[in-house]
Amino acid sequence: MPLATLVTLLASLPLLSGLVRGDQWWVPAAVLMTVVALVSTAYRSLVGGAFAVPFLQLFAVLLLYAPLFAPGTAALGFLPTLDTLDHTAALFEQGVHTIDTNSPPVSPTPGLNVIIALVFMVFTMTADFLAVTARCPGMVGGLLLSLLVVPLFVDDAGMRWGPAAIAAIGFLVLLAVDMWVRAHEWGTRVPSARGHGTTPDGMAGRVGLAAVVSVLAVSLALLLPQAMPSLRTDALFTLAEGRVGANDSMTTTHPMVSLRRDLGASSERTVLTYRTDDQEPEYLRTFVLDEFDGENWTMTPVHAGRDNEADGALPLPPGREDEPDEDDLVTTRISLDSDTAPMDFLPLPYPARSVEIAGDWYADESTLMVFTTGTPPSGYNFVVTSAENRPGARALASAGPPSSLADDRLHLPGELDDRVQELTDTLVEGADSDYESALALQEFFTDGDFTYDLSPPSVPEDSDPLTHFLFEDRIGYCEQYAGAMAVMARQAGIPARVAVGYTAGRPSGEDRWTVAASDAHAWPELYFEGSGWVRFEPTPADPDGGQGTASRPDYSAGVDELPDNVAPEPNPDDDPEPSETPEEEPSPTPEPSESAGEESDEAAEEFDETGAVTGGQGPPGWLPAILVGLVALPAAALPALIRALVRGARRSTVAAGGPAAAHTAWRELRDTCLDLGSTWDLAESPRSTAARLAASGESGLGAEARDALWRLALAEEGARYAPEPQQVQGLRDDLDTVVSALSGAATTGRRWRAVLLPPSLAPWRRPRAGAEPLPGLL
Amino acid sequence: MSLGTQHDGHGGDVREDVGTVATVAERVRDAIETVIEGKPEVLRITLTVLLAEGHLLIEDVPGVGKTMLAKALGRAVDCSVQRVQFTPDLLPSDITGVSIYHQDRSEFEFNPGPVFANIVLGDEINRASPKTQSALLECMAERQVSVDGETRTLERPFMVVATQNPTDMEGTYALPEAQRDRFMARVSVGYPSPQAELDMIDSHGSRSPLEDLTPVTNTAELRDLVERVQNVHVAPGMRRYVVDLVNSTRTAPELKLGASPRATLHLVRAARAHAALEGRHYVVPDDVQTLAVPVLAHRLLPGPEAQMERLSAEQIVAELVTRLPVPGPR
Repeated sequence: MPLATLVTLLASLPLLSGLVRGDQWWVPAAVLMTVVALVSTAYRSLVGGAFAVPFLQLFAVLLLYAPLFAPGTAALGFLPTLDTLDHTAALFEQGVHTIDTNSPPVSPTPGLNVIIALVFMVFTMTADFLAVTARCPGMVGGLLLSLLVVPLFVDDAGMRWGPAAIAAIGFLVLLAVDMWVRAHEWGTRVPSARGHGTTPDGMAGRVGLAAVVSVLAVSLALLLPQAMPSLRTDALFTLAEGRVGANDSMTTTHPMVSLRRDLGASSERTVLTYRTDDQEPEYLRTFVLDEFDGENWTMTPVHAGRDNEADGALPLPPGREDEPDEDDLVTTRISLDSDTAPMDFLPLPYPARSVEIAGDWYADESTLMVFTTGTPPSGYNFVVTSAENRPGARALASAGPPSSLADDRLHLPGELDDRVQELTDTLVEGADSDYESALALQEFFTDGDFTYDLSPPSVPEDSDPLTHFLFEDRIGYCEQYAGAMAVMARQAGIPARVAVGYTAGRPSGEDRWTVAASDAHAWPELYFEGSGWVRFEPTPADPDGGQGTASRPDYSAGVDELPDNVAPEPNPDDDPEPSETPEEEPSPTPEPSESAGEESDEAAEEFDETGAVTGGQGPPGWLPAILVGLVALPAAALPALIRALVRGARRSTVAAGGPAAAHTAWRELRDTCLDLGSTWDLAESPRSTAARLAASGESGLGAEARDALWRLALAEEGARYAPEPQQVQGLRDDLDTVVSALSGAATTGRRWRAVLLPPSLAPWRRPRAGAEPLPGLL
Repeated sequence: MSLGTQHDGHGGDVREDVGTVATVAERVRDAIETVIEGKPEVLRITLTVLLAEGHLLIEDVPGVGKTMLAKALGRAVDCSVQRVQFTPDLLPSDITGVSIYHQDRSEFEFNPGPVFANIVLGDEINRASPKTQSALLECMAERQVSVDGETRTLERPFMVVATQNPTDMEGTYALPEAQRDRFMARVSVGYPSPQAELDMIDSHGSRSPLEDLTPVTNTAELRDLVERVQNVHVAPGMRRYVVDLVNSTRTAPELKLGASPRATLHLVRAARAHAALEGRHYVVPDDVQTLAVPVLAHRLLPGPEAQMERLSAEQIVAELVTRLPVPGPR
């Protein structure tokens, strides 16, 4: 048995293989486990008894510990000293630090190895106690379960099937060995006179019951989560979202930093390739940063829920009234390179209309970002259909005030340097429309005063990065260009935001394009009523002094294309005023389209689909009650269901006849009595039990039930003690008669308890005695 | 042996050979009941012991029909019945018989004692000296008599029905444990119910009903029945049950002396007979449970604590029976 326990736990070691790198980390653990198991085996077989086993095991581990983990600190090579203790403390610190600071898979350190080895040592000792001393090998399953949970929680990739299967096989080995040992200790059951213990009928009943119970368990496990909408949304993501919401800079720095890293690497490593029928493909946009805090552009927390799953058509882009024509749609097939770090936001041309991709992806309504809450694979393919986004300069110039958009796209922090506003005012002074203002701003960045540099000199601690870029050194890369232009566009009254992603890359074939890491880019998107968000390009598109693959869209190329006779209707200087007013004090009633998060609040209230509610509002108070009810109801009905299944299976066995029929009928009668709260005495023979039961209730059972009961008792008696039990017919009817008569004789309360919480299902409620064999069915 | 089966009134299955036992026993019981009324339990134990070839100890106060029971049994079975009245001056030879020198033929002639009978009624056995008691008990155990170096086998069936007064009465020598052990069962007749006593006045008023009792069976048939009883099936679980029950008397803290292995054999034989009496060809726990007190109690000695609590051996055995689980499904 101790060796079987060892095999089981050794088989569970691979469970951690996904968490720790390398192939040496398990050696000390395996050594310790083997020693512990061997000590147990040796002591039990040579000396006998179990009391001293844990002490001897600890002693053996103590002797081995120093040579294994702290060589050089031990006296005589194996006696632990104070140095060993210090060393151990240091090792533990190191191990804990490793676990804390690294994400899996972790490179093994001596400290981590010590922790793993000691944990497995303790597990082996516990398993040894459970399986060998206490003779409950099933309990070892609990230990394995706790090991299984570790990768599930820690590793984003989840559990791997292979190790789990190996661990399961190890557990089965343990159970099998236990059965074998038991059979050897007690001997197998004496076969009956006619050679066969079980008939095909009995077997069929048993197999049938097992099948029914398995199917029920599996389907419950599958259906129950489906029935509860709250479990659909990703609770972990909600947590993460809350964290992001609490500290916006995290969201900001994340894409920005990754952008800076990509730019810094400036490698020609391929990030993705795509095929498209568009001659001039759009930029591939990953993130949209729409909040400015004075220093950084950040992303509004996005919401993932059932209502915004990105399957099929995506929501209409803001500012567009209807679906674009079929002719304007462009299909792009994007293949992410498997070497690229997994992207949880898809690089998409704007505005994407539909995305075909496997997995759970969600679309943010206001930005059309498509993202996942799970872990995307590192290389995948998807197909995106997007509309062309090249409004004519005329349309842009004639655009009215941005009335259909939320005002927070104009919001700027109050503490901006006044010089920036002055600069903006100067630049847009002559512009007749928002469009002209935008062109003027873009012109300001591209007319040569700015120097494009991927590694600009760092901004002094005490100065504002924006003013430093605009007024001091004017050195930066796309991020600074885009951020500054977006800020100034907002100052000019044009809703603006910063988009991050990749340029269209370089063509690598007829319709193929390759995007490299050096094509990472940031650009401003400005909003024009009627056309929606359109991108501008303030960054120089010069291969030597700019983003080489950047392209300036036609509409932003210059004012020259604008026909002179088109007079801009609205006064650009006046426009911002009405829209700036509400920005000071946030509107009390948020518009539906303002934020996906708030919309989800409404959705949650409407459809009871909670769990993914973002923002400050918590779920309504009665929702948990309903959820608890949803969980509790099936759980409460479970005992009754199981009991009904058991009864059904037994009735079919009884009806099938055979020697098992009488026993099964009698067992069902016993369970019925237990359910109804009557006593069941194992020292009572079937006859005396029948006699006692016949007198139960106020006036005893009816004559018919008495006869049926007597027949059941005699059948059971014959089946137990007669040399050749007679086949008795009609036992099932007798059983039904007796069961209904017994429950009729019981009080109402007892009857209800028998249905809802049958005590016969509780092992501890069963009559126990040495002579009673293990119940066959449950 | 016939394998044909028929159904008895209870719906259990019955083989013909065992069925005969039940029928014959029923006849005997009916016959005795004309004499002893209202004591079906006692009668059943008596018949059980008869069929199991055991010996019966009837313990009760005088005048409740102990002797009448034994006589009625002897009369109902057409067999020889001898009665020995045990007194303090009774000698062993008064039981076994003596060899008398025959002057005409110049040889000893054996004069068989009362023990040479099918049913021997030993009345008030505890009034005789221990020496005489043991003479009878040897015959009971070995079913043979050795006198003057010659061994004479007793005819079967051989059954000793001994009566004894409760040991606390005057002028009695209590039977030692070893000798009580040879009796298969001990019963108390007990006082009759008022109704039975009323009926008794009517029936016993003019003449003894014993004289009207005609034999309903004979020794040959009885021997046959005894053979058949030995074929009654005892399932392995039931054997274990009997052993466990007897063993529990040895480990019970309330008992100073537990039952002997002989008790185990007696209990199994009695259970077989009891099952056959009921027309069953297999033993069920109920047989053992019914017989546990009569078969076991007289062999046991309650310990001091049980005596302090005034627990009798019968009560302790009954308690042990309720504690021991019956054999479950095979």
